[in-house]
Amino acid sequence: MAAKKRSEMAIKHKFKSYRDITPMHVSLGNMLHNKTGGWRFIKPIYEDKIPACQNACPAGNDIEGWVKLLNNKEYEKAYWHLKREEPFPAILGRVCFKFCEDACNRTVLDDCIQIKELERFVGDQFAPATPHPELPDNNGQSDKIRSLAVVGSGPSGMSVAYFARLLGFRVTIFDKEALLGGILRLGIPNYRLPRQVVASEFEGLSLMGVELRPNTEIGKDIPLETLTQTFDYVFLATGAHRSVQMELTANLSCCQIMSAMNILKQVARGETVALGKRVAVIGGGNTAIDAARTAIRMGCHVTVIYRRSLTEMPAHPEEVREAQEEGVIFRFLAAPEDITLNADTTIENLVCCEMELGPTDESGRCRPIRKEGVTFDVPVDTILVAIGENPDFDYLGRRVRSSDTIIRTGDDLSILSDHTDGEKVFAGGDMIDIPHTVVHAVASGKKAAIAMDCDRRGVAFSDVLNQIRIGSGDALSFSRYMNWAPVNPVLQNDQKVVDSTKIVYDYFIKMPGCEKTIQPADLRKDSFEPYHATLSVEEALHETERCMHCGRCTECDNCLIFCPDVSILDQTRETFGYAIDYDYCKGCGICLTECPRHAITMVAEG
Amino acid sequence: MQKMIDIPRQVLVEEELMQPGMTSCQGCAAPISMKIALKALGERTVVVLPACCFAVFVGGYPYSSLKVPIIHCPFETAAVVASGAAAALDVRGEKDVVVMAWAGDGGTFDIGMQALSGAAERNENILFVCYDNEAYMNTGIQRSSATPMGAWTTTTPAGSIKEESKKDIEQIMLAHHISYMATASAAYPDDMFRKFRKARQITGMKFIHLLSACPPGWRIDPANSIQVMRMATQSNVFPIYEVNKLRFSKDNQRFEEDWEYTINVFPERKVSVKGYLKSQGRFGLITDEMIDYTQKKVDRKWNELVQKQDNTNQVIQRQAGIC
Amino acid sequence: MKKAIKGNHAISYGVKLSKVGVISAYPITPQTTIVEELSEMCASKDLDASFIKVESEHSAMAALIGAATTGVRTFTATSGNGLLLMHEVLHWTAGARLPIVMANVNRAVSGVWNIWAEQTDSLAQRDTGWIQIYCESSQELLDAVIMAYKLAEKVMLPVMIAYDAFFLSHTTEIVDIPDADLVDRFIPPYVPPVSLNFDEPRMFGGFFATDYFYEHRYTLQQATHEALRYYPEVCREFHGVFGRAYDLVETYQAEDAEVILVTAGAITSVSRIAIDKLRAKGEKVGIMKLRMFRPIPVDCWRDVLGKARKVVVIDRNMSVGLGGVFASEIRSALYASDNRPPIYSVIAGLGGRDVTPEDVEGILNHVLTHDKPSDEPLFWGLKQ
Repeated sequence: MAAKKRSEMAIKHKFKSYRDITPMHVSLGNMLHNKTGGWRFIKPIYEDKIPACQNACPAGNDIEGWVKLLNNKEYEKAYWHLKREEPFPAILGRVCFKFCEDACNRTVLDDCIQIKELERFVGDQFAPATPHPELPDNNGQSDKIRSLAVVGSGPSGMSVAYFARLLGFRVTIFDKEALLGGILRLGIPNYRLPRQVVASEFEGLSLMGVELRPNTEIGKDIPLETLTQTFDYVFLATGAHRSVQMELTANLSCCQIMSAMNILKQVARGETVALGKRVAVIGGGNTAIDAARTAIRMGCHVTVIYRRSLTEMPAHPEEVREAQEEGVIFRFLAAPEDITLNADTTIENLVCCEMELGPTDESGRCRPIRKEGVTFDVPVDTILVAIGENPDFDYLGRRVRSSDTIIRTGDDLSILSDHTDGEKVFAGGDMIDIPHTVVHAVASGKKAAIAMDCDRRGVAFSDVLNQIRIGSGDALSFSRYMNWAPVNPVLQNDQKVVDSTKIVYDYFIKMPGCEKTIQPADLRKDSFEPYHATLSVEEALHETERCMHCGRCTECDNCLIFCPDVSILDQTRETFGYAIDYDYCKGCGICLTECPRHAITMVAEG
Repeated sequence: MQKMIDIPRQVLVEEELMQPGMTSCQGCAAPISMKIALKALGERTVVVLPACCFAVFVGGYPYSSLKVPIIHCPFETAAVVASGAAAALDVRGEKDVVVMAWAGDGGTFDIGMQALSGAAERNENILFVCYDNEAYMNTGIQRSSATPMGAWTTTTPAGSIKEESKKDIEQIMLAHHISYMATASAAYPDDMFRKFRKARQITGMKFIHLLSACPPGWRIDPANSIQVMRMATQSNVFPIYEVNKLRFSKDNQRFEEDWEYTINVFPERKVSVKGYLKSQGRFGLITDEMIDYTQKKVDRKWNELVQKQDNTNQVIQRQAGIC
Repeated sequence: MKKAIKGNHAISYGVKLSKVGVISAYPITPQTTIVEELSEMCASKDLDASFIKVESEHSAMAALIGAATTGVRTFTATSGNGLLLMHEVLHWTAGARLPIVMANVNRAVSGVWNIWAEQTDSLAQRDTGWIQIYCESSQELLDAVIMAYKLAEKVMLPVMIAYDAFFLSHTTEIVDIPDADLVDRFIPPYVPPVSLNFDEPRMFGGFFATDYFYEHRYTLQQATHEALRYYPEVCREFHGVFGRAYDLVETYQAEDAEVILVTAGAITSVSRIAIDKLRAKGEKVGIMKLRMFRPIPVDCWRDVLGKARKVVVIDRNMSVGLGGVFASEIRSALYASDNRPPIYSVIAGLGGRDVTPEDVEGILNHVLTHDKPSDEPLFWGLKQ
């Protein structure tokens, strides 16, 4: 029913004589002539906002959108909707640090939605090697087509290739390794991210027309200059693979002191690695945990030595817990003090010193302070060093300063250098100053792709940024850039974030999430095979049922039920949502207060 | 998708029996309640309106905002005018029509009490609904016997805020042995809907006590009407329950009566009485002693209610010969 | 069929013959036997009506708002204090144009209790919009009920039938109870001018703002004019069917009377004896018995009383601070007339004090021997 209709049904009587008074004083009409909308000074509008989960996602994943489609059992739609902002659900669904779940408003009620598991479910529903529905048709506009060389095939490289392809770029990915995927393939062990999952994403990219050039090292096989001269744009995505050395071992010549990252790569490549029986891992990052669990799977006795406490540990807590279950021993507040070698250069003893936490340092964590004279011995055969990885800049030449540990980039992720000579070189992932997570890398690839497209179109990226930035963070919406329609065809407000203070929890009932099916530690620790299954359809639907759809209308009818002025009009589901009859809406605001998910906004009249 | 308010969609999309254009204040809960009531009762309903806000804002002559017949009546007569209409409909042979008296707290607790008591005792086949906004709001916020302790009104101004407790209308009505007594709140619309549907099926006197927020009288933001009403239930100040009269006839000579108490809403998110009171400007002058007293009274009433519900189960089992 | 019944039962028979649908009443002496009889009639299904045994007179009348609005024929009865309790609702029912018929057994009201005859209760309802019919005999009561429905449902105004406590309510007389078929034909089932239904749901009454209320009141006044015009027609039709003649007033020996006595209710009967006595002595005296008092049949009063040399009004009622209500109203009715005989106002029989033929004779002798009425009403029989 169109909003205007009702006021047209108004019946107004004008009495001219006492004779017009009806017998028994019965009514002759309704009050529709009395347009109470005139009382209003603020009015409600339906306006979808940014849910806390999406706001927390560096890639701006429209989680609520695809969860809603999933809840509707529109699996394929959900898959492609997810891939609008985050192209690799099967990967991120396994390895993401799930900032979304930490932000999930449902945590206040019972427990967060298992977004990561849902993403994995969606990612596993379809092979990436399905024709991409949004791929542009490049025929007939070759003069506008620009080319992009991507150096490195890790998550940021994959991401920029994906988005650039959707923007119509011709894309080639170069990687020095035979196995594509960078850290995903070589750093993250198979039990966390099966290589087939990564491989099939490359099949997908290939199907989208991305040219893949493995075994091609830039700076060795092809000079970087060749790329900058033959491609319109170059994106650097070679990550951070060079292990930081311990000062303690700098002068030691011992083949049993190794880089944890190198071990992970060797295992990934299928090379033979001899670790001995007892392994100590130095460090508290994800590489340390991955190395420790890899060593466990090779039958070693593993001790992780970390100088701060569990709380400060950069590794994901879930990883730490699972490592502990598998038998990894953690020695917190401990640091290597001395290593003594046997005559045959094997390790005789690792001496560690106990630490205590001091005041907060520049990293925001408590500084570890050595407890003078309190030491203990850790008998080991092998020491794996995992105290950080730096990017390798050798192939970049003058573009970086020797003192740089990261590549400095502008807002558009183009590299800041005194020696670029007009080259259009961008960078992302672990090479630049962003948190070293897969999802941040993916986000950087998206951002660079949009920046390059802006450059191609000759529009200012900074202007575009304001239009496509979502929520309160740095995440960008590729959908907004492409003008793709949102799931709910209603007004979108990309700036307002719906956090838990905006949720009316009274409208949600407790509903625990589904139990994760994880293989017991004693079974999984002997194998590099994945140890926990993708959600079943039932489990996935159960989780989608739990989503509160923060900030997004679900047509729950609350506004319709509560409007005191019968001014919310149902549209019989033919059109999404509801119409508001502003002829009568008095602007009381009950619809907003009772909207469980803050999908209504009160705006000033006039 | 989780949906807390479970009213059949088909009912929601049916043509509304209440139309807009009414002159009710912004955020008034009474029209919300009426909308839900009429959805449940359907078009074969006669509404009897005594003097109250609704009688004014439903539309002045010659206009009405309801698509069901309305009979206006003097302030104190809602129950008996409804009785007369019900008797006449019975004479007309229209047994399926429900006559609903729709009165404020004045027309129920105070001036309407005599006629209401009479109709209740006679177990007239009517549905009496009190939309209780806890003061004489139509005349501009004067205290009634439904006004809670500690409330400001224009006749209990600063310096003499109401010291007496609210009259326990529910117990009074139950003491009349009526067929059905329930409390309901527009903050729990599906519960309200169900109760009106149920009342429609019951012969005899049905009394439904609705809490009905009044933003100007309660000194609350119009947007918060429903929220404050929900808090009334979450704090147990306004428990949502219903009482059915069970009538066991052991033989034709003897009747036994008993009561089936059911608490319909066990609030998951609890609110303190203080929290509820402080959400409203009208309680701005309430003393700590009054809050303590109210909290204790509320706790006692709630415990009694739970006890009665437990007793109900025993009674039903006894009647069924289980124990 | 002739039957010896009390006045109150004559009312009950009238109600039964009128096939009333909803009755609502609250007992009060001396009205009680009406509702007792009606209860029996309902219990025995002689009368197929719904009887709401309410908890007060206020509710008795209010119940009929609901019933009459719903389109059913309704009845109630009360007396004295009960009628006063109804006062608000009397205004309401008349203003709402509900054709309710009520019997009011006139009973004294004051700050002390008295259950006996006095008309102050009904006369205090003069301004409500109710049509008032005063009756003298049981036959008249029964006939008045039947005619009241005919009138009420035509002009959509409620009708009150008023008569004296005990003198009439509890006195047994022979009454000719009409044939039910004839009554059915005389007053067919009630069809309201606007029906309460669900196909065209309407609101009855409600809030009249300043732009309509004045006109609404005017239409009420117009309806009373219609009642005045229509009542003689009802009487004529009644006469044709049942053979008993009624009119706005009833006269006795008034044609050539020089002194006309104005009465209402049971005093009329004793007055007839006094008139006969004085006529035998050669005094030209007669009676004008008031039947319809609201609306005021001014023209009729002027016609009858304008020919007299003197008019004497016996009021079994008192508007405190004024005097007899009938005297006052007759005075004002004749004021604009060319013939304005002096009006002697007599207050007698308050609170059921017996007014005998000798009292009336004494009153008439007083009038015959006094050229001018005194300024104050004559309180006849007052213990000085």
